[in-house]
Amino acid sequence: MSLLDKFAAAAAIRSQMASGGHDPTQVVMDRIISPTEGIVEGRPTILAGTNNYLGLTFDPACVAAALEALQNQGTGTTGSRMANGSFAAHAALEKELADFYEMPYGMVFSTGYAANLGTLSALLKPGDTVLLDSDAHASLYDGCQMSGADVFRFKHNDVESLEKRLRRLGDKTADCLIVTEGLYSVLGDCAPLDEIVALKKKYGAWLLVDEAHSLGVYGEGGRGVAEQQGVMHEVDFFVGTFSKSLGAMGGFCVSPHSELELVRYVSRPFIFTASSSPSIIASTHEALRQLRARPELRERLWRNARRLYEGFKVHGFIVGPDVSPVVAVRLGEKEVALPFWNRLLESGVYTNLMVPPASPDRHSYIRCSISAAHTEDQVETIIQSFANLKHLLTGV
Amino acid sequence: MNTSISDIEDRVGKLLASYLESSGQPELAAHGPITPATNLVSDFTMDSFQVMEFMMELEESFDIMIDMNSLSNTHTVGDLARVVAGLVD
Repeated sequence: MSLLDKFAAAAAIRSQMASGGHDPTQVVMDRIISPTEGIVEGRPTILAGTNNYLGLTFDPACVAAALEALQNQGTGTTGSRMANGSFAAHAALEKELADFYEMPYGMVFSTGYAANLGTLSALLKPGDTVLLDSDAHASLYDGCQMSGADVFRFKHNDVESLEKRLRRLGDKTADCLIVTEGLYSVLGDCAPLDEIVALKKKYGAWLLVDEAHSLGVYGEGGRGVAEQQGVMHEVDFFVGTFSKSLGAMGGFCVSPHSELELVRYVSRPFIFTASSSPSIIASTHEALRQLRARPELRERLWRNARRLYEGFKVHGFIVGPDVSPVVAVRLGEKEVALPFWNRLLESGVYTNLMVPPASPDRHSYIRCSISAAHTEDQVETIIQSFANLKHLLTGV
Repeated sequence: MNTSISDIEDRVGKLLASYLESSGQPELAAHGPITPATNLVSDFTMDSFQVMEFMMELEESFDIMIDMNSLSNTHTVGDLARVVAGLVD
């Protein structure tokens, strides 16, 4: 057994994924035309799997802010904030994010993944306990494991399962962090944060919520699921990303606890990473302003989401229980889902294929993420493209 | 209550068979009896999701909580039984 033999398993996965004609993990968009359209293999393609919920990637104000930063601050920061200094723009964005969440402290990371890794690995230490939703994102799992804390999972969105574990912990709940998401990104279901908050308070535990997919999407002010459920001020730590509704790249943590300022000193993914380029910080900051100033973006997003969801249902597709900007269509076996996804791409609709073990159950799904920037015609085309392939689903 | 390791191995094996049957695992019928040496991944090609789902079933059945960090060197029914044994006493 040599060092590289282990890649035989990855090679087998790659050849299976490519067996339908295109490898879903290797799609190249030759040209991006707009937030919702690109050119793939010479074909105009509707982008229905990019998490570009508010469609701000081409927003003129965001682009202008990035250009201005590029010209005036240069292409990069060339180092870590702890070792090489902070640009004023990074600190200003942290302040604006904290203000947005009505919390005193904010911290910016270079990616969403780093935000979760950096926050969790700093907050927790061996001897602490994490209660983690079983469907949580890999970055949350990795952050918990990196910390060395004891990691126990509870059943996805199951408050009974969570309470059972809290009860078992007894007086250890004071050192226990509950970790959950707002909107779960594969099936588009939301956490019962109001009930989770009630348990956190009852047992004296702590709560971290990842609003990566719900920022800009849920709540009156677009702050996420916790805001929508009226428990925003009961959450100890919010983490999130700039790479979805804010159309850029990066991550953040905000908190009412002053110790977040000390996380900077102990968080290895923060200390040992170069900070984001000024243009990224500038477009993110402008996108956050747009999010706050233009609630009509959310209204358009939800109108499109409702239409897509209802359209799939009318054609007999199996979708999740609730409307959300993430609409996952259940297709059963991988052998059915793979050709379905390929034919969709060839018909000019780009989506995401989720197959076990990456899907949260034993089924395969085609996942769509809808955008405020999708036109009504584009939404109808997506629905019709799915309907045209319904014959591939016999027996599902 | 003191439960012997062999009792726990037996119970873990039965739970595994039941889990595999309910998830329609094709290797189950061809496989001989499940023993402490049975390897979850190489004998039954369980993927990471299935392994984690089965852990949840063990937690429910034994009324325990299994730390994910304790699973890094756990491959066989016997390994799992030892983890469980350390939590039920």
